[in-house]
Amino acid sequence: MVLGFDVLGFLISWISIFGIYAILAISLNIEVGYTGMANFGKVAFYALGAYLTASLTIWTFLLLHNLPYPLYSVEAIVALSELVPQNPLLNIGLFISMVVLSFIFAGVVGYLITYPTLRVGPAFLGITVLSFGELIRVFLRHLKPLGATKGLAGVPHPLAWIKDPMLRDGIFAIIILIFTFVIFLVSERIGNSPYGRVLRAIRDDEIAALCLGKHVPRVKATMLFIGSGFAGVAGALWTYYAGSVNPDMFVPVVTFSIWAMVIFGGLGNNIGALIGAAVLTFLDRVSFIINILFPNLPITPDYIRWMFTGLLIILMLMFRPRGIIPEKPIRTPIWTYLDKEGEDHG
Amino acid sequence: MIGATEVLNTIWIGLIYMILALPLTLSYRTTRILNFVHINFITIGAYIGAILSALGIKNIIIAIFLAFLVNASIALLDHLAVFTPLIKKGATELILMISSLGLWIFYKYLTYAVIDILSLLTRKNMFSLLVYLTVLPDTKLGNIIISGKFLTTILISGAIVLLLYFFLIRTKLGKAIRAVADNSILAEISGIPRDKVMIITWIICGGIAGIGGLLWGLFSIVTPEVGDSIILQIFAVSVIGGLSNLLLTALGAFLISGAENIVMTVLNTTLSIPVSFRPFIPFLTLLIVIIIRPPLGAGGGLPYRFSIIKKLRIRR
Repeated sequence: MVLGFDVLGFLISWISIFGIYAILAISLNIEVGYTGMANFGKVAFYALGAYLTASLTIWTFLLLHNLPYPLYSVEAIVALSELVPQNPLLNIGLFISMVVLSFIFAGVVGYLITYPTLRVGPAFLGITVLSFGELIRVFLRHLKPLGATKGLAGVPHPLAWIKDPMLRDGIFAIIILIFTFVIFLVSERIGNSPYGRVLRAIRDDEIAALCLGKHVPRVKATMLFIGSGFAGVAGALWTYYAGSVNPDMFVPVVTFSIWAMVIFGGLGNNIGALIGAAVLTFLDRVSFIINILFPNLPITPDYIRWMFTGLLIILMLMFRPRGIIPEKPIRTPIWTYLDKEGEDHG
Repeated sequence: MIGATEVLNTIWIGLIYMILALPLTLSYRTTRILNFVHINFITIGAYIGAILSALGIKNIIIAIFLAFLVNASIALLDHLAVFTPLIKKGATELILMISSLGLWIFYKYLTYAVIDILSLLTRKNMFSLLVYLTVLPDTKLGNIIISGKFLTTILISGAIVLLLYFFLIRTKLGKAIRAVADNSILAEISGIPRDKVMIITWIICGGIAGIGGLLWGLFSIVTPEVGDSIILQIFAVSVIGGLSNLLLTALGAFLISGAENIVMTVLNTTLSIPVSFRPFIPFLTLLIVIIIRPPLGAGGGLPYRFSIIKKLRIRR
């Protein structure tokens, strides 16, 4: 409490948001960096995961306790705040099942999106997915049962039975980091496997990959399934972290922050995505705190931050297109063998 | 069920979609850059109208010139400062598209920041404004009153579309633009100065999009999100034209606007589908167009065949 805000709270919120955005950046990286599919609608799958989690969690709670309120009503929020801390097992069970469901739901939608966009080039894929993101947002803004512009609030926290809020948020931040780590490992395994080489072949020359007998459409669809599914998981984690969802959280600028992270770190490189996520989420938190400390600035700090995000994308592409950590060759067993051979023969 | 309102709405919205989607298609065809800054052109054009009317200048001709000039210079700046260096470094279509996305976000929040400062200076809320520009007076046709805004929009956008058409078909410069659009290397070999043609294309595209934004602003409340709110429709219209065919793009504008106004009203009254499903119409149209008529040449995609189509062919 030295500078007027508490450092631990800042760290916990930064780590949580870093974890969520790192998942998004890694999922974009395996789509763009590995497979070469320009996904400009990442936010749509993030929103799908978040809304599915929020609505189903609240709905299940209300159903189990026989409360006939609409999901978005104030009565529901009040009732939930009393009910939630009672049953830890239900909370954790719901949390795990929602993460799995979000993965499957967002993934399936991503899989379906590849069907129309298979035969068209990057410009059309970009347009379609970007439009899809806007469609989801505009639709949610007008969807009455899910609270329209106000969204849903009072989503039961999986650790609501822990009394101390700081401890609760801290443990949840660690849970988010565990998810990030698992997804990072999975993505590394995908990238450094024979399948990863197929992905890079498709990115570098689709026709050549097709001629060598790779089923390009199926590979692309699978990657969009996995990438979108990870984005759905990030959405679920965000819902539990923030406790509420509303359509204005899922504006296109979220997608471009994720793009900026991936381009800043270096395409085709998961560690770069992590570094990009760390840097940009740190800026996010700093601008949030500046906003609280100095409420009467002439320009809202968020606008400056987003301008910087756009500028960062352009500058990186112009002066350092491979990012701060360039992509490395894939580590396969043959490399270790060749390295040893080289040492043996001098 | 379908009244005069729906028909009139279809016409003016269609015309505005047309002058917003034509520059997008033309610039993609000539420069191979899918320009997302187009969305900023719309917003800035609308804001120029709003700020001018707030300052007390209500002449629409001045507003049109200003919208053209400002947006044309933004387009030129992008071309010279960002796209040309990137192309010289051998950037692919994807990289150019990502850089235009970066520019979109940059200009969008630059607009926000400028409006923030303006609101502070004028002590007024500049985040939602109405446009009061002098337009033609209302006219009565039978028992329908046609508003002046509607007439002005039809006149201006019709004139722009006709001018663009004759410019591209008749003049030497227009022919040069079309030549670069069809095959830029061949055009350069034939002695057409490709760089100059690109600059002129950017000026025209930026300027027309700005005027389109100004006209769109006449009918709606001007906010910094005004451009973002119609990207679904503009992209759908452009995809109908395959990002290459200007005539199809023009037809697509009326198709989308008709579907949004007339079909939605019919669906609402007969099947009682809520109006909140309106944004699905342009998106579904976009998907259907991409599935039925995939734009191979422009998109640069591969002609995959689907298993269902293969089976049908074997049966034949």
